[in-house]
Amino acid sequence: MKRSEKIMVRRPLPSEWLRKNISTVGPVVAAIVIIGIFQVINPVFLKYQGIITLVYAMSYFLIAACGLTFVIMMGSFDFSVVSILKLSALICVLYIDRLGLLVIPLALVVSVGFGFINGILFAKLKVPSFMATLGVSIVVEGIALYLSKGFLHMLTDKTFKSLTVTFIAGLPSILYWAIGICIICTLIAIITPFGRRIYAIGGNPIGAVLSGINLDRYRIYVFMLGSFLAGLAGVLYMSQLGGGSVELGADMTIPLFASVVAGGTALSGGVGGPHKTLLGVIIITWIQAGMLMLGYGREIQMVVFGAIAIIMGIATIDRRGIKFVK
Amino acid sequence: MKTPDRKKLILSIISQTIKIYPVIFILIAFVVIFSSLYPERFLTSLNFSSILRQFVTLILFSVGPSIVVVTGSLDLSYVGIWMLGGILVWVLTPIIGIFSILVIPLLGLATGFLIGIIHAKAKMPSFILTLSLLVIYSGLTATIAGGIPRIVKGYDFITADFIPGIPTAFLWAIPIIIAAIYIVKRTRIGIYLYSIGSNEEGARLAGINVDKYKIMAFTISGLFSGIGSVIIFKNQGGSVPIMLNLNTVVYPLVAIVLGGTLLVGGSGGPHRTILGALTFTVIIRGLTISFLDPTMIQLIVGLLLIASIVVGSRGVKGVMVT
Repeated sequence: MKRSEKIMVRRPLPSEWLRKNISTVGPVVAAIVIIGIFQVINPVFLKYQGIITLVYAMSYFLIAACGLTFVIMMGSFDFSVVSILKLSALICVLYIDRLGLLVIPLALVVSVGFGFINGILFAKLKVPSFMATLGVSIVVEGIALYLSKGFLHMLTDKTFKSLTVTFIAGLPSILYWAIGICIICTLIAIITPFGRRIYAIGGNPIGAVLSGINLDRYRIYVFMLGSFLAGLAGVLYMSQLGGGSVELGADMTIPLFASVVAGGTALSGGVGGPHKTLLGVIIITWIQAGMLMLGYGREIQMVVFGAIAIIMGIATIDRRGIKFVK
Repeated sequence: MKTPDRKKLILSIISQTIKIYPVIFILIAFVVIFSSLYPERFLTSLNFSSILRQFVTLILFSVGPSIVVVTGSLDLSYVGIWMLGGILVWVLTPIIGIFSILVIPLLGLATGFLIGIIHAKAKMPSFILTLSLLVIYSGLTATIAGGIPRIVKGYDFITADFIPGIPTAFLWAIPIIIAAIYIVKRTRIGIYLYSIGSNEEGARLAGINVDKYKIMAFTISGLFSGIGSVIIFKNQGGSVPIMLNLNTVVYPLVAIVLGGTLLVGGSGGPHRTILGALTFTVIIRGLTISFLDPTMIQLIVGLLLIASIVVGSRGVKGVMVT
């Protein structure tokens, strides 16, 4: 009797605890190791100027990655994040002279509209999410190209610029935007019924339907949320950058995806969340900035991010529940 | 009495064909539209030959992936094989001479096998796996090339003129297409691939080694992409691109979907992709020579992709899409 009680209250062994929490511990350890390595190689990194650079590189990326996290949590994939970010940024720079600050709601509404189309194509018309969003992303790229005519457009509006580059307590305000949005997303995912249902759909879609969740409606909502965050990232990115062309944000899909899976959100859905993506974004941005400082250009970075995406994608997938995968 | 019967028979054959290949309708419609709008530019031998040239590029990229799409997966690695293979040929030609062209099919074979192993054993969704691999390959290509597009010389014999007027690349494509159709339609592998595509769990229960045949599908696809890349390589003038262009990735997909191969698997195949590629080439050519704003073409391609997927996946029931 006493012995069994003892077993019941026995604290888990460190190895057991580690195995259970590997998806949380892994990214933390990886982030610390990566930060440490680059710190040793280049001590400028954690000085004030280095941190400012990293903040600028990280913040808009984090917002877009939060949106993608919701979609991946649900077991789907959104290819159109980068193109919607680009379109939203270009809408801001193209129409700010005519509309003033009203471009921000316009850009967000357009983004949410494309998210709605994604959702309808995926949920109602039963097109696989990857292909649906790929098609939408081609259309969005086409619109962006058509609107911008391929030229470089510069931003002149001071108020719009000050959204992100005002320094508060020594750090640019885009950091506070990003942190705030990441916290709100985490709260949505963890506390609200909406978030719990996204986890449920990701873990077992058929079970979610049987327990009374309106699957199609939630899928559309999540794609709209993802696109909204992509659009918001685009607005803030443009405000930070101060100008851009249709080339803006090229080749960002794989780093975005890599940062989501490196944080511990599995492709199979049902686990992870925006709070984990924060770590993934730190890892990816640090590698990006560190490699750039060491003189490795974008091409070799693509190789690294692709490798991270594949390795972390394999590592995070939960293979117990799924019978087959397409 | 005989004539009406025969008429009926012919009519029913035509209606059946249109039911199976609705894309024929679109093809005829677009040819009619473009030839009536721009007769002096569309109906020329130059345009015909450039349609054939573009068609060859498209079909050689899409014939391998359409074998994979039959199983319900996706293979986007073809552009990566083309790029990395091309730059490896550029590296190897001074060392081992003319045989270095064989590195492209070998690379395709190895890539397909690798994708198949990771996809089947580690259960990673194929589209994101192949997309990541594509980005890795393009990064490697740009790194090896040193940031400059390289031109490989010495392989002109592959596409040397054989029959005047018809691109030799087109002649090369014919046996490749026939081989792909033979594999899918006339061998046991093909039948197993269709059964895996329509019901993977059922195929497993029927005793098919699903993992083995999935790996085989990806390997065959990689090999076809590799062989195709050798021909495309010269068809494009022997230059090795170093920038990854989304359009080159998407166009073969549009051709596959337009041909009527369902993305959920279990139907279609390379024989349908021929028509899809031809239709898409005609549309692209027609749009290119039209008076349309060039920036509109991409928009139209995207809409075409969405429309053809939506039309293609109509009436698919009981499939859980993710």
